[in-house]
Amino acid sequence: MFKKRFLTPYLFLTPALIIIAIFIIYPIVAVIYYSFTDFSIVTPPEWVGLRNFQQLVNDPVFWQALLHSFIYLLVTPVLIILCIILAIIVNRKLPGIHIFRAIYYIPVISGSIAVGICWRLMFDTNGLLNSILLSLGIIVEPIQWLAEPAYTLPIAMLLTIWMGLGYYMMVFLAGLQNIPEELYDAALIDGCNNWQKHWHISVPGLRPQITFIVVISSLAAIEVFNEIYILYGPLGGVLNSGVTMVFYLWRQAFRLQHAGYASAVAIVLLVITLAFSIGNIRYLERGSEAA
Amino acid sequence: MKTSIALKLLMPLVAIAMILAACATPTPVVQTVVVEKTVPVQQTVQVEKKVIETQIVEKVVQVTPTPGPNPEAVIQGVEQGCELNMWTFWLSPTFDDYIKSTIARFEETYPGVTVKWEDHQATFQDDLRNAFAAGNAPDVINLSVSEGWVSDYATKGLLLPLDDKVPQNVKDLYFPGLWKEQLVNGVNYQFPWYQGINVELVNKQLYDKTGLKIEDFPKTVDGLPGLCKTIKQKTGTLCDVRLTVNDLLAQMIYEGGAKVISDDGKTFTFDSPEAVAWLQMYVDMVKDGTLDKTVLVTDQDRVGLDLFTSGKAAFYQTGPNLIREVRANNPGLYGYLAAVPAPVGKSGVLGKGLMSLSVKNDTKCPNASIALAQFFTNPKNMLDFSKLVAVYPSTPASYDDPFFSAAPVAIEDSAKPIAKDIISKYADIVPTIPKKADVNQIVLDAVQQALFSNVPAQKALTDAVAKANALINQ
Repeated sequence: MFKKRFLTPYLFLTPALIIIAIFIIYPIVAVIYYSFTDFSIVTPPEWVGLRNFQQLVNDPVFWQALLHSFIYLLVTPVLIILCIILAIIVNRKLPGIHIFRAIYYIPVISGSIAVGICWRLMFDTNGLLNSILLSLGIIVEPIQWLAEPAYTLPIAMLLTIWMGLGYYMMVFLAGLQNIPEELYDAALIDGCNNWQKHWHISVPGLRPQITFIVVISSLAAIEVFNEIYILYGPLGGVLNSGVTMVFYLWRQAFRLQHAGYASAVAIVLLVITLAFSIGNIRYLERGSEAA
Repeated sequence: MKTSIALKLLMPLVAIAMILAACATPTPVVQTVVVEKTVPVQQTVQVEKKVIETQIVEKVVQVTPTPGPNPEAVIQGVEQGCELNMWTFWLSPTFDDYIKSTIARFEETYPGVTVKWEDHQATFQDDLRNAFAAGNAPDVINLSVSEGWVSDYATKGLLLPLDDKVPQNVKDLYFPGLWKEQLVNGVNYQFPWYQGINVELVNKQLYDKTGLKIEDFPKTVDGLPGLCKTIKQKTGTLCDVRLTVNDLLAQMIYEGGAKVISDDGKTFTFDSPEAVAWLQMYVDMVKDGTLDKTVLVTDQDRVGLDLFTSGKAAFYQTGPNLIREVRANNPGLYGYLAAVPAPVGKSGVLGKGLMSLSVKNDTKCPNASIALAQFFTNPKNMLDFSKLVAVYPSTPASYDDPFFSAAPVAIEDSAKPIAKDIISKYADIVPTIPKKADVNQIVLDAVQQALFSNVPAQKALTDAVAKANALINQ
């Protein structure tokens, strides 16, 4: 009887454990192994010890990619601020507000390839943006936005923000609707203006959502790939200006066929994201307890 | 009673005669018969859940079997019962009918072999690398010679060497320069397929504004910087010129006449004065602001073609086969098109091959795969393909057809009468580059530093040579 009761939970866990083992544990173990090998995907791996990691340390493009990934984290605070403002705006009971909420959500459900093509057309030398700037007399010659290293990351970051705005706004909107209305009434009686009302009630009330979004959006930012690929293609922008960690990993694995080296990059990325996530959660939880 | 006995004797005799007649070789009927054959065809369909799915559907294709010994069956020892996978590059849906009917004729020519065809487009290279990694690469693969894909895969040991497996009489079907167009250590890994003739497509609406005559379009690459300056001054548009970013050393050799590696293949030399002069030409054009930089460093020909098609570029170098894209996407521009011969580089070589069919090294059916690759590239099928679109056969015999001697009517056909002469002179002058993908990445970084980061061309290339030499001597 005891044995049966002991085994039952494991029996229920087995299907999930099998899936986790196949799709998470095995790939992680395999990547750790490959990171110590010279492996070109199409040929069998050959053990090289720490050579890939030594090569990483001396690889300027890897450091450039790491820097770009950290720069990309700037999208997180921008997203949070913009989304909270948007959520507060669409939280009002105005006629047709549902239409606005739906419009803001459209980029989230749009296909990334279609979005990428639209953005490429917009930033093209002969595209919409240059046409507007030229017609307003702001520029006298078209700017080659997609071939200027200085604009590579900002354009990709703008795209990330635009695509994520609707989803994160919905999360904040749900959070705002859970804040009791009485708190705002009390604040009004106390003489708070609109800004003070939101700063002292809405923002603290949204702390769980902020924690959640900081973690997921910063992880998404540090692992960015799609936006770079769809805007700049397999080269990742001129002079590696758009090459991020995951993009570099992809290039090494699938263009140059250095899967062993790419695995070493993946291990570094894993360590960074783990450390980053743990640090983020601890910091925000500590803040929550203090509040 | 006598009749009955005679009948009893006669009936077995008649039966035996009928059996013998049935077993005998049938009298050949010299007549072309059209039969209908059901072939499995892969088709992409949009299903209700808005998910793109691949389905195998049955389609009826008309097949015309050739009577008697089939002259197209030139490969011996074809394995029976093989199901071959073949991948093409960007041919569907425009050429679905041609590909499907050629496959159906192949299956008639080599009974017992079936073919499953897939067309891959922008993700072709990624799909193929993944397929090789997963061990399910196709048996017959359409690889680009001009982008250097054959040598990429051959140097990794992924393609089947063909020299000792293809009979001499079959090799002789192709132009010698094309059979040897992308040798790796002296060995051929591809059947030359359809060829292109590089022309400069000119947008007369824009070009005429420069005051230049189309017949005076530069004959050599050196003439492009001056032309681009004039175009920018007179029309305000940028030149639509592309570097072959996946195979920069090849472009350096053809355009700049540079020697990129020592004869023993152990030391790179692409920082020679010729190589530096070649890079400096592009650096100067970028500094002059006469080039569209996005197109310059894209790896997609379509990006440059799209710019030209939009009517915002005065000229673009491509094959006449892609004029169909201009006609389809901007019919208004089609009427203003002109085609002139593409400028020649310092090497003096007119060009190299375009597309090929290769066989994967570990195919279970090498002879059947060779037969399929050969069948698609044989004179008849090449001619049929050329009649559909402005591509040119790799087989001299195809040009004997009156189709090639007829006077051109449409702009797509403008290169037709001179095609044989040009393609017969195509040659691969690029030596085998060790660790090619890595070396190309080093060269690409150097070229970009010179173009966009003010690093002198000489320094960029000398540093790159040092890195590349260190790489191959590891």
